[in-house]
Amino acid sequence: MRSWIRQATHPLITALVVALAGAEARAAGSVVRIEGDATTGYRLLRDGTPFRIRGAAGIDHLDVLAACGGNAIRTWDAESAGREADGESLLDRARRLGIAVTIGLWLGHERHGFRYDDPVQLQRQRQDVEAAIRRYKDHPALLCWGLGNEMEGPTSNGADERIWREVNHLAERIKAIDPNHPVMTVVANVNDDKVAAVVRHAPAVDILGINAYAGAGGVGEAAARMGWKKPYCVTEYGLPGPWETAQTDWKAPIEPSSRQKAATYATTTSDILADEKRCLGSYAFLWGSKQEATASWFGMFLPTGEKTITVDAVTKAWTNAWPANRAPVLEETDVPLAGKTVAADTQITAVARYRDPEGRPLAYAWEVRRESDDRKEGGDRERQPDAVEGCIVESAADGRVVVRTPRQPGGYRLFVTVRDGEGSGCMDNWPFAVAP
Amino acid sequence: MPASSICSWLCVVTAGAALVAVAAAPDYGDHSSATLTKKAWEALAAGDGDLVLAYTGKCRELYEAEAKKQQAALTDFAPAEKAHDSWALNDVGTCLFIVGQLQERQGSPREAIAAYRTLADELKFSQCWDTKGWFWKPAEAAAGRIKELEFDAKLD
Repeated sequence: MRSWIRQATHPLITALVVALAGAEARAAGSVVRIEGDATTGYRLLRDGTPFRIRGAAGIDHLDVLAACGGNAIRTWDAESAGREADGESLLDRARRLGIAVTIGLWLGHERHGFRYDDPVQLQRQRQDVEAAIRRYKDHPALLCWGLGNEMEGPTSNGADERIWREVNHLAERIKAIDPNHPVMTVVANVNDDKVAAVVRHAPAVDILGINAYAGAGGVGEAAARMGWKKPYCVTEYGLPGPWETAQTDWKAPIEPSSRQKAATYATTTSDILADEKRCLGSYAFLWGSKQEATASWFGMFLPTGEKTITVDAVTKAWTNAWPANRAPVLEETDVPLAGKTVAADTQITAVARYRDPEGRPLAYAWEVRRESDDRKEGGDRERQPDAVEGCIVESAADGRVVVRTPRQPGGYRLFVTVRDGEGSGCMDNWPFAVAP
Repeated sequence: MPASSICSWLCVVTAGAALVAVAAAPDYGDHSSATLTKKAWEALAAGDGDLVLAYTGKCRELYEAEAKKQQAALTDFAPAEKAHDSWALNDVGTCLFIVGQLQERQGSPREAIAAYRTLADELKFSQCWDTKGWFWKPAEAAAGRIKELEFDAKLD
């Protein structure tokens, strides 16, 4: 129920408002079409107006997104669309800020126990999907339906026809209930077998959503080469994942620096959007923060909510302008323990110096954490390792820190978090190991 | 299989730890492009910038003319089954990519861009075998690095 309906307290007024709400919602519900063909190219028409997705994958910080020139978000499940904050649902907040929403419809993953040959589970899933369609189809913020997310599995070849036949069945049901919004299914990158399976078994799908990290800029061309003739959208992109980068000797993935991240986000955003013929737009991942290998790998925001330089980078790519308040920029590093195995209980001095583009003073916070031992696949939730007490001997406002290495052998990371006090920040880390 | 095969394309996305100067004389082995490229990768991994420049320089000196001939004979990337026919193109192109990586690690973005641009402009159909089982395209990776380095310059 929308928040403004709940404000009506008199029963008669409530009844009237509720009665009118349905009509108003139907009248105001968006109509989104795909125009064009494989030869001339495709574009989205939202209520008759061309719409290119400058999107973020995430459901928080929508005000920042709007201020940065973004115009769309995607969720991974329908429950998020109705999630309320400050008395306002996500969809209502998005509408107020001029942001269109691809509502995700979560489909089961077999690695989580779902079975695509279990009629009972399939029936329950179908009911859930249809209920979500009926609940949200008339909301004016709705852009399209995101039917599933990587349900073929992050490491499979994606050719399991049971999954794509079910996707097709659901896509047909969605269109029967809601003819006004396209249906997109989202896969974990593309390969020949996967694209062939979707083409063959899920013809009711309108848009292929592709989650891609390293090489995201060329993924549309790859999909076309593999036989995908319809439009596509890059539904998650960002840095090369921890599974794609170099590792230390003790198998700790080496995270790009915040500065490297900025360059990657900016150029990848531009590269994706350069395909104006088949690409309907993209969603930068992750418009928020999460622990995945580290607390900073994919998050475009600090865990405490400050935007980072990656937000500035996509803003630059979207608008050709920097945001009003930019995040700190890494200027200099000298971290002798980075990538090394060092002795236990030893003091080492390191430097990571940042510059605030607006000249504000920066606050540095250092900590040492154990290397994560809770690594998952497919973006599944991971636990953040605890900070190790007593490792930061002293730190200075110029970015210098004295670290005492832990006494226990094993893999660790030195983290620095830098904040400007005005809503922007940065986080970098360097893996190191303590010798037995 | 050419020496460029020892590279995983992961090298594209990794700018590793600071280089450590190690004094060692270059050993060009059989002087083949494969050997020189293999040794250049190894020197890069070991952080020996002088050896990287020695091996990549020798590879270019001996094989760049042939590489350009092979490039001129192509109108597109060779299919996988014929990619190894362009051995000089592949190895010299890979060496230019290695030079770009070295210059990045040494904090010389202009020199890195110069190496990448030569690769992207003059040897764009070079390919490098990834031990994971496919060819990657050094010139495309170089073009990506150029964009990122040019963006990085805007941060200053």
